[in-house]
Amino acid sequence: MSLRETITGQLGSISAMPVVVGKLRQLLSNPDVEFRKLSEVLKYDPGMTTNILRLANSAYFGFRTQVNTVTQAISRLGLKRMSELVMTAAIGPIMQRPLKGYEVPAGGLWRHSIAVAIATEHLAGQLNIPVPEDAFTAGLLHDIGKMVLGTFIEVDTVPIMKLVEEKKIPFDEAEREILGIDHAEVGSLLLKKWNLPESLVNVTRLHHAPHLCEENSVVLNLVHIADSISLMSGIGTGQDGLAYNISKEATDIIPINIKIIETCAVYTMQRVSELSELFETN
Amino acid sequence: MMHTVGISDLYISDKKEDILVTYSLGSCIGVTVFDPVVHVGALIHCMLPLSKMYPDKSNSNPCMFVDTGVTKMLQAVYDLGAKRDRLIVKVAGGASLLDKKRMFRIGERNYSVTRKILWKNNLLIAAEDVGGSKSRTVILNMNTGKTTIKNKGQEVEL
Repeated sequence: MSLRETITGQLGSISAMPVVVGKLRQLLSNPDVEFRKLSEVLKYDPGMTTNILRLANSAYFGFRTQVNTVTQAISRLGLKRMSELVMTAAIGPIMQRPLKGYEVPAGGLWRHSIAVAIATEHLAGQLNIPVPEDAFTAGLLHDIGKMVLGTFIEVDTVPIMKLVEEKKIPFDEAEREILGIDHAEVGSLLLKKWNLPESLVNVTRLHHAPHLCEENSVVLNLVHIADSISLMSGIGTGQDGLAYNISKEATDIIPINIKIIETCAVYTMQRVSELSELFETN
Repeated sequence: MMHTVGISDLYISDKKEDILVTYSLGSCIGVTVFDPVVHVGALIHCMLPLSKMYPDKSNSNPCMFVDTGVTKMLQAVYDLGAKRDRLIVKVAGGASLLDKKRMFRIGERNYSVTRKILWKNNLLIAAEDVGGSKSRTVILNMNTGKTTIKNKGQEVEL
C-alpha cells in the first residue's frame, strides 16, 4: 500500500464532525429559523452550548452585557455569525493538540487558524470587498489537514524538510513527493467526509495554489493572502516555516499593497488571542 | 527561570538564572543583547519595521516595531548599567515566503531597519542567522550570555 493510501485510509477513523454541527448549520441557513428547533438540537450537546456562549461572550465581540442563551447570541450576532461560531466551537477543542511532526506546540495550529479567519475578514473589509459567505470558516479550516498528518498520523517531516532545503521547493510540493499527498488535499478530503460545502472543501484544497482553481474565487484568494500574512507574523508557524509560494495570480486579482499587509498583520495580532485562548486547556 | 517573549514583546534581565526564549520568528526579527561584565541582557521580538505609519500602536506597544522596539531595548539595558562598547548584539529571523513579486518583503525590511538602528547606535552585529524561509526559535542564556537558535530539536550557538 502506498503512503498516500495509508493516509487517506486513516481519514475514516478520525472523530467525526459532531452531528450537531451539520444540523445547526442547516437550521441557521434558513432566515426564518425557529429558535425552538435550535434548542432541541442543542439540548443533546451541552458542551456545544457552553462553547458557543463562551465565544459569544469573548472580548472579540465586546458586548457590555453577558450573553446567557443561544437565542440571545443569535439576536445579537445574527445568523451568519452564529453559524461560524458553531463551527468554531466544534473545531476549537479538536485543533488544540500539538502537531508532532511539524513541531507546532499545543494550541499553535488553533492560533494560526483563528488568525487566518480574522485576517481573511479584515482583508475583505480593508479592500471594500463584501465579506464572502463562510470567509471566517474557510480561514478557520484551511490547515485542518495538518491536524490529520501531525496529530493522528504523526508523519515524519524530517525527509520532507530535507527535500525543501535541498531542492528549494515549497513544503507542500515536498509533502507530495514524499507522502504522495499534501496537507491541503488531506484536509479537503476530511471536510468532504464531514459533508461540508464544496466551497470550503475547495479553499482548503487550494489554499497554497489558488491559481489552480477553475473559477476565480474571492474567498480562496483572500484565505491564501491571510495565510501568508499569518505565517510571516509567526502565529503558530511550525517546522515548515515560510516555505510556501505566494501566488502571483491571487495578488494580481486582489489589489493588496504593503500598507494593507502590515495593517492586517497588526490588527490580526491584536485580536487573535481574544478568540484563541478560549479553549486552552492548561 | 524561563521567560517566553511573545510577538511584539521584550524581556530585560539582570539575573544569571534567567533563560529568555522567543518561538517561531517568521518574518519577524529577534535581537539579543548581552553585557558580560554586568550580566545584563535582553531579547526582543519585533513584527514590523517602521512605526511611523502606526502612531497609536507604537505608543501603546513600541516593541511591535523594529525602530521603536530596539531603541527601547537599548535604553533599558543601558539604564541597568550595560555599556555600549561591551554589548554583544545578535540578530535572527527576517525570513520570507517564496514570493516572486516581492510584495511581502517584511522580513527583508525588518532586517535592514534593524541594521540601520544598530548602526545609528554605534553597535555592530556579532552574529546573525537571517533570511531564507525558516522559522526560528531564539534563546538567550543569561548565565553564559550565549544566544542559540533551536531548529529540529537541536540548539546551535549563534
